[in-house]
Parts: sequence; C-alpha cells; structure tokens
Amino acid sequence: MKIMVREWHAIAQWRWDTGAADVDDDGEGDVCGICRVPYEGCCPSCKMPGDDCPLIWGECSHVFHMHCLLQWIGTAASKQQCPMDRRPWVTAERKVNATTGR
Amino acid sequence: MATENLHRLVAARWQNSFTRLNQGQPGITGLLAFSEAWTLATDFLHPCDLADLESRKRFDMNKVRSSTEILSKSKMLPLLLENFLEDMRKNQHLITRDVEAFMARYEETADPQYISQLVFRLCEWYSAWCPIPELGQTILHAYMLNFQTHVFSVLPPSFSNGFKDLVSRTFDISRSSTPPPWLNVPSVFQTPDNPSRADYALWAAFEQLGLLERYESLISSVCYEYIESHILETCTGKWDEQMLKPLRDWMTDNIVPWMLMPYARGAKSANEARSMLQGVGSRFDFHVCKTLSDLRTREIFDIIVDYPDSVPALQDLKECLQRVDQRAQLVQTLRKANRKRLLHPGADTKDILTQYVSIIRCLRIVDPPGVLLFKVADPIRKYLRERSDTIRCIVASLVGDGESGDSLVDENEPIQPLQQMQVEDYTDPSWEPEPIDAGPDFRTNKPSDVISTLVSIYDSKDLFVKELQVLLAQRLLAITDGNFERERRNIEILKIRFGEAALQVCEVMLRDMTDSKRIDQHVQSQQDLPLQATIISRHFWPPLQAGNFVMPGQFKEIQDEYAKEFNAFKPDKKLRWLPHLGTITLDVVLKDRTINACVPPLDAAFLELFSTKDRWTVDELIAAVGSVDRTAALKALSTWVDIGILKEEEDNQYRLLEVAEAESDIVHKPPPTRPVPAAEEVPTALTVQQQQAEQMRVFWKFIEGMLTNLGALSLDRIQTMLKIAPNYNRTIEQLAAFMEAARREGLVTVKDGMWKLNRQ
Repeated sequence: MKIMVREWHAIAQWRWDTGAADVDDDGEGDVCGICRVPYEGCCPSCKMPGDDCPLIWGECSHVFHMHCLLQWIGTAASKQQCPMDRRPWVTAERKVNATTGR
Repeated sequence: MATENLHRLVAARWQNSFTRLNQGQPGITGLLAFSEAWTLATDFLHPCDLADLESRKRFDMNKVRSSTEILSKSKMLPLLLENFLEDMRKNQHLITRDVEAFMARYEETADPQYISQLVFRLCEWYSAWCPIPELGQTILHAYMLNFQTHVFSVLPPSFSNGFKDLVSRTFDISRSSTPPPWLNVPSVFQTPDNPSRADYALWAAFEQLGLLERYESLISSVCYEYIESHILETCTGKWDEQMLKPLRDWMTDNIVPWMLMPYARGAKSANEARSMLQGVGSRFDFHVCKTLSDLRTREIFDIIVDYPDSVPALQDLKECLQRVDQRAQLVQTLRKANRKRLLHPGADTKDILTQYVSIIRCLRIVDPPGVLLFKVADPIRKYLRERSDTIRCIVASLVGDGESGDSLVDENEPIQPLQQMQVEDYTDPSWEPEPIDAGPDFRTNKPSDVISTLVSIYDSKDLFVKELQVLLAQRLLAITDGNFERERRNIEILKIRFGEAALQVCEVMLRDMTDSKRIDQHVQSQQDLPLQATIISRHFWPPLQAGNFVMPGQFKEIQDEYAKEFNAFKPDKKLRWLPHLGTITLDVVLKDRTINACVPPLDAAFLELFSTKDRWTVDELIAAVGSVDRTAALKALSTWVDIGILKEEEDNQYRLLEVAEAESDIVHKPPPTRPVPAAEEVPTALTVQQQQAEQMRVFWKFIEGMLTNLGALSLDRIQTMLKIAPNYNRTIEQLAAFMEAARREGLVTVKDGMWKLNRQ
C-alpha cells in the first residue's frame, strides 16, 4: 500500500521561541514579567499579538514584551536595568544568531 | 224632609241627563235621534268576522259620521268605547283561530312565509275592526292597545323564531324591487308610493301591529348575525388585503338601505333619515369592528406566521382595536396560542426565534408603543432563556448561516449598535407617559432593532460574544480554500453592533487567517508541500479540542519540513501542531485499486501505520501515535473498514486488505476514486458549555478539598468558600447544578441540604 497525500489542511499554534524547554504544552505558558500577560498574548498597549507585539530577549536570559520593556527602560527609575535581576539591560543577540546559524 | 230633598235632587239630575240626551229638542225626538245614532254606531263598530267584511261597507258613512257627532255631543263616547271593547273581547276568538292556524302551519314547515301571511292577516283584522278616525285619538289608541295586547297574548313562543327568520329574509328582499313569490303581499298593502322596495309592505305591517317596537332587540340581533356571517365568510383567512374598508362599503351598500325600513321609515328627508340612523348605525359599525377584531384575534398566531404577507390584516386589527377595547383579549389569546403551539419541547429554537421576531414586528404594527408586545413577549423571553441553544441560534443567524435559509435579520434593516436600556429622559420636550394599560414592570421599549431585542433576552452580551468566537473559530478552521471574506464581512457588521472592543479577539482570529495565508504562500514558494497550515494565536481562539498524538511516517516528515520552513521565515517563532484538527485528502494506492479519501488526520495516521505492517491491534495503534481516546481510535478505524481497506478480525485486530475482498466488494465498496467524505463533521472548537464544564472540573478539586477537611457543608457555605478561589464567577444555581451532577455520579451525597463526600 502506498499513501499519497494530495492535500493536507492542518492547524498549528505558533509559540515564541523563548529558549525555555517546551514543557508547558497545555499550560497557560510563560508570562511577561512586566505585564503578566502570556508571551503569546500582547502587551497592554497592543491589540494584535505576534509580530506586532514582539518579544525582547535580554542577555540576562529574561524575556519580555518589547513594548513593556522599552517603556520600563524609558522611566528614570529603571536605571536601564532588567526589572527582574537589576542587572544592566543588554538585549541579547541570540535572535540574530539563530538566523545566521541557519 | 230629607227624602223630599233627595227626591228633588234626583229629579233634577234626571232632568239634566234627559236634556243632554234629548239635546234640547222638543218632546223626545232628541232622545229618539240619540238611540238611533247609538244603534248605528255600535252596529258599525261591531267587530265582525273577516268573511262578512262587506257588511261594513253597507253603512252610509255620512250617517255614521253624524251619529258619532250626536254621541260625542251627548258625551256618550266613553260608554261607546266600553261597549266596543266588550264586543271586541267577545269576538277575539276569531283572531285567535287565525293565529293558531298559521302558526300550526309554520311549526310544521318552519317556513317563514306563513309568518308573513299571518302578519298580513292580522293587519287585515286590524283595519277591519279599526274605528273611524272621527271618534277621536283616545278611542283609536285604546283600540290599538287592546288589539295588540290580545295578539301578543295569543302568539306562541315559536313566533319569535319565525319572526327572526322572516326578518333575516328581508335582507335579500330589500335588494330587489319585486317581492319574491312566497311573499304574498295582499293587494291592500301594495303601496304605489314606494314601489322600489319589495319589503316595504312587510315593514309597514310590522309597524302597524306594533311588532317593531316589541321585537326591536330581535331585529337588531338579526342584523348583528347577518353582519357576523358576512364577515366570517369574506374575511376568514384573508390577510393579504385590508378588509375594514370593504366591509364599511358593504355596510353602506347593503345594511344602510335595509336599516331605512326598520329604523327610519318615518323620515321625511335624507337629513332626517341620517340623524335617525346615526345611533343604530354606529352600533352596527362597532359590531363590525368587534366581529373583525374577534376574528383576527382568533387567527393572530397564523397571521404572525404569515408575516409579512399578512400586514394588511394587522393594520385592520389596529384600526379595530382603536374602536373596540379588545387588547387584553388579544394578549391573552396570543399568549395562549404561543404556549400551546410555540413554547414546547417539540419546537425548534430557531423556529421559536423566527416566530418571536415576527411577533415583534407584527405587534409593532398593531401597537406602536409596545405594551402588547411587552406582555406577549415576556413568556417567550423567559422560555428562550431556559433553552440551552438559544444563544447559538441567535449568533448563527447574526452571522447569516448561509444554508439555514432565511435569516432573522432583515437585510434592509440598518445596522446599528446594540441599544442599552435607556433611562427616561424627562427633560425631553416630546416625552410621553407610559401607556395607560402598561403593566408595573413595563419598560418603555423604544423601537429598537430586532437584534438588540434578541440580545437583551440575556442580561449580558458577553455570552453572545463568546458564542460568536466559538462559531467563528469553527468556521474559520473549516475553511480550506482560504476564502474567508464572508466571515470578515460578518465581523465588520457585528463590530457595529457589539462594539469594536468586544470583537477584538475575532479580529485577531481573522488576522491569523490572513497571516497564515501569507506564510503558507511563502512556504510553498520555498518548497512544494501538500500541507497547508492555518497558524493560530493561542489565547485568542476559543479552547480547541484536546488531543495529543504524533503523526507517523511521511506525515511527520511533511510537518517537520513545513515547520522548518516556517522557522526560517519567522526565526523567533516555532510551530506546535494541533494534529487532531484539519483534514487530509489522500490517495490510497493498493494492489488492485486506488481509493481517494478525505479524512481527519487520525484516520490518515492509522492508515499510514498499516503501510509498515499489515496487522495491528487497536492498542498497538494507539500506542504508536501517542495518546488517543479509544472511541476516537475505533471511529477512525471504522472509516477505513467502511471503505473496505481494513478488515476487523478477532482480538481487536485489524488487517489491511491489499486486495479487495470479494463480498465486501459487492456490499461495501463504493466506486473507487470517488472521494469519501469525512465520516462526520467533528466540532473542532469546544462549545461554551463544554468550556464551562472544563472549568468546573478545576473547582471540583477545591470542593473535594473543603469537604474532606470540613465534613458536610451547605451549598451556601461552599459557594462562599469558592468565591475565594481565583476566577470563580459561578452563580449559586450553577453550583447547585454542578453538585447535582456530581451526586448523580456518586461523588457526593446530600442530606438535609448538607453536602458530603461519598466514601464507600
């Protein structure tokens, strides 16, 4: 027997590649440490998730909604630090690495 | 002395009387003349049989007249009258005989012509015995009274029936100029002065005998019945044109001319006649309205079913209700009909909604302020609230379910935002108080659109939005050709109704669709894959069916290939497949045949497994793909068994039929290469109820915990404690239903309102 697939209409969900292992398959998923909204959701000032409300990866391994973090960095109280560990915020390059690595 | 005195007094009296009678004539000539006149007058007046009617004509009328003059001069008329009436009494048996004869014939045949004959006969008697007018009004009047008293006393009860029959026939007679053959008008009554009316003589006779006065209510009841039967005949079931105007025309053409006879016979001019007819005419007009509104009230349910073809009938009803106060009755009838024909388990929710919408539209025509509607709609709304699929039905019609036929929403109706309940604005110069018959909880139902009314059945519109998401998800996921313009249009329309914010989630869903299309195009341009993916944003789609298995063999390869391309396109993202969703169209090439089928992924996965090995047990198959529900697995296998590719053998074994089996060829096998449709449309998204049940399962853990720690608890207590739990927003009724379900499953027991864990 040979099976030839003519057409396949499939459904998938997208996830941010946060680097964390895919353990939370059925859970709510990780949330942004600033707005407490899941990464796959959108920050409070956005309406559309995904590319319109991307994530930002820090070298400190913390991940936030980009808009949330930029807003935080923009405040004087932030002292340009990651809100989670108070280390100076440095945006990670892993995204670029992943692209070039391919 | 006294005797002498008395004697003289009597003598004087006698002398006096004598002089009066003698009229001052010499001797007794006056007296002679008087007695001659008396004899003549009594003879003349003597009531005789109709047979020798001629005897009266013998009299010289001049003589009779002069003798009555003599009598009246000598003031003997009262005596004459007394004498005459006495004579009448003696001869009354003649009339009685005639009445009995005619009535006997009528009772035998029930033919009103005998009544008419009787009436004419009585008139003959009347005129035969009638004293001449010279005797003065008093005598004439006394005669009439006596005659009528006697006639009425001898008429049997059956006469009123016959009379009614006869009157009802006058409607036909009045329209022709010549009387029908059965109406035998005696020549005496044939009046040349009104030849156009064949029934003139009859009415004249009725009046002469005082029948009009005596049977006035009977005559009007005949007319009422006539009007009723005409309305029932012409208007029943005729809803597509306004009937009130034709009915009034008919009244003018038929009833008014007829009315002239019984009610305005004495009229000298048209104006006089009009004023005489005014009272009775408006009574009849009222009756027309009442009969018509009664009829329409009885038919109201079907009229509403027929809407919009029945609009004229509703306008009639509106006009009638303005004249006749039947509103309460209309409400009652409609509520009763609704209860009997609409609000029962046998009726489709969709039908109930359609009828409800029609009722809204119809009653708005009849009663614009909406009092009637409010009273009628209340039970329907209560009932709809109890139905579980009401919201789904409303939502389905909102988005215009293409195949389900007519939509509840009128296409022409302008789309407007949902209207919230308005607080009365008393500063509005055109403010009006509530209608007088509005109930205590009547809400001024400003003419709002139908959808607002439907949505307002429920307290919040959130339920609708949720259901809408589920429906939209189902539809979008079922789309394979990438054409979702219709859904986009629907959402745009619904945005106007529900507001932009409420439909934000739907907006994301639609954008996911557009994005998927673009991504898919990109992927296909990189690598030609049979897979087309719809990539959705979690958290923005309603919970989808759980299911977690791995596609085997080539399917896995295709998926991985696609995921790789996706990852190249969107480096930050990765794909997580929902393997149980979607459809696969595939060709199964076997040794002797090729079968084309369109199946759910699980079916395809199982078949793929058979390409590595000919025999599998169900358990092996389930283990091979991961976690799959056993029923789902069996169902998937049965798809192939039905098509004739697999065969079920003992011990849950399935075997691949590389070569079709002979008998299954004949019995089962559909013509090859025909696409086999997926066994059943699997609802992909969880319905709102399923979602709620899913959530309740979480709370069950809490309940179990508190019952373990605290022993028996009352429902109120459980509710209070659950409120502490995050996201708990159930009402106590929902909790009660849930606990009841748990009790049925044997998890808990209840005694005196205290709930307890059931420990065996």
